Amino acid sequence: MFGVDHAIEAAALTRMYGPSAGVDRVDLTVPRGECFGFLGPNGAGKTTFIRLALGLIRATSGEVSVMGHDVHLDRMGALAQVGYLPGELGLYASLTGHRTLGALARLHPRPPVLREELCAALELDGYALGKRVREYSRGMKQKLGLVAALQHDPPLAILDEPTGGLDPVIQARLLGWLAARSRAGRTIFFSSHVLAEVEELCDHVAMIRSGRLLFVGRLGELRRSRVRSVEVTFSEPVDPARYAGEGVGTTKVEGAHHRFSLSGDPAPLLAALSRLPVADVAIERASLEDAFRDLYAT
Amino acid sequence: MSTIYALALERSRTRILLLAVGFGLFELVVGLSYASVDQNAIRQLVDALPPALRALAGSADIASPTGYAGSGYLHPVALAIQGAVAISMAAAPAREAEDGTAELVLARPIPPARWLAAHGLAMATGLAIVVAGGFLGGLAAALTVDDLSPVDAAPLAGALIAGFLCFLAVGGVALLVSSLVRAGGRAIGWASAFLLISYALDYLAQVWSIAEPLGPLSIFHYLDPPAILGRGSIGIEDVIALGGLALATSLTALVLIQHRDLTP
Repeated sequence: MFGVDHAIEAAALTRMYGPSAGVDRVDLTVPRGECFGFLGPNGAGKTTFIRLALGLIRATSGEVSVMGHDVHLDRMGALAQVGYLPGELGLYASLTGHRTLGALARLHPRPPVLREELCAALELDGYALGKRVREYSRGMKQKLGLVAALQHDPPLAILDEPTGGLDPVIQARLLGWLAARSRAGRTIFFSSHVLAEVEELCDHVAMIRSGRLLFVGRLGELRRSRVRSVEVTFSEPVDPARYAGEGVGTTKVEGAHHRFSLSGDPAPLLAALSRLPVADVAIERASLEDAFRDLYAT
Repeated sequence: MSTIYALALERSRTRILLLAVGFGLFELVVGLSYASVDQNAIRQLVDALPPALRALAGSADIASPTGYAGSGYLHPVALAIQGAVAISMAAAPAREAEDGTAELVLARPIPPARWLAAHGLAMATGLAIVVAGGFLGGLAAALTVDDLSPVDAAPLAGALIAGFLCFLAVGGVALLVSSLVRAGGRAIGWASAFLLISYALDYLAQVWSIAEPLGPLSIFHYLDPPAILGRGSIGIEDVIALGGLALATSLTALVLIQHRDLTP
């Protein structure tokens, strides 16, 4: 039974492609009203998960619901609540931008109330919309895809790599616009392989690799989970056992200079060191990029 | 559904119009050429031809006005024009799955069967427009050339309806393949293979007695415009066979698409 207060809820969701798994027993809950980042390198299974959530491909096993609708049983009910930007965007090349937006709007039950606002924010003016899509640059196509996905103010926006092809100014404007929609209660499910943009927009993230979820939680937790390198210089010889504790790795001692790894919360280590004759201490900053790399390296 | 139908037609409108005009001009030229032929000379020529070549013109006497006009609708050019519009439009769903536009549309609350049905209806409409072009060309020739006066509008329309049903069945096969594959080229390839094999089977059945029992397996067994023009009406068995195949393949496609992945 799926919870109605979740925008997306997947339970043991699996999709096999022959002997290999595109998505492997994924359990994931995306709360409503959140901006949720879905991170992973290319080919990790992000797009496959999204297509399963939209019912575009069929699950080998497991279940998924979108806005309280079981996608297998009530796909139309789920899709009526969704705006979707595909990662590999295909548009009708022979249509103008304006005709494309009009046609796609008619295929959705919600009226395109945000079209003008979005076009203004993404700098899609009347001249650009009057041109045929085959004349568009990659960035222009991406903007058109974004307007098509978001113009009807969907309760859940699923955006697969939305900033691809956009210049930095428009990227920043888009992220700001999405943050505002999230504050207004809309759910944004944002798939990306660029950590910086997810960090800017999202509180919660899920990380996927080879179809399996590696991490689900707050970005702060991810940063805290990062294994850091610590170097301490004491003013006299000290036994490492005096500061050893949870998260402290094997120490390499060179005279009064100690070097070790630290995972998790640094507070207990700092408390232990405060009672020792420390001459100098250096703890590597917990970078999210490194945490991201650590997770993928495991 | 009307939006997808309109989009499908809009994207094919140039192709439809060109093929309709081309079909009309071709049938007009075929009809006009009858004024310059000597019926007896044609009859002697046809009698002198081996059965393998006579089979290309269908069952009727092509030296007669109705036989000559009808054979224009069995000419490979006429068949290719109708086949091109039916196959290319019915293969559009597979092409859209390949280029990503299907993903854009089907991520909206549109049932896949309705999306496919809209493409099927657009194909039928496009084919009807092209066939109407052929009808107008043939009619213009019949009204212009005195020797073609036995060719009336009603039987001519019957011959064109038979052609429409025949290529609606071809389109149905293409739609069925489209529901199973996600590449436009493959859909066009399989449907074209069906068309060519069907044509070859009908031809072989006419010229080779051993292959004669296989004739009813070909859609062209049920398409004989010269005979329709000669007797004045379309055979009900032919309508049932061609219409039934079109309906069966289309309905099967609509059922299959519900159980298929819509994207890679």
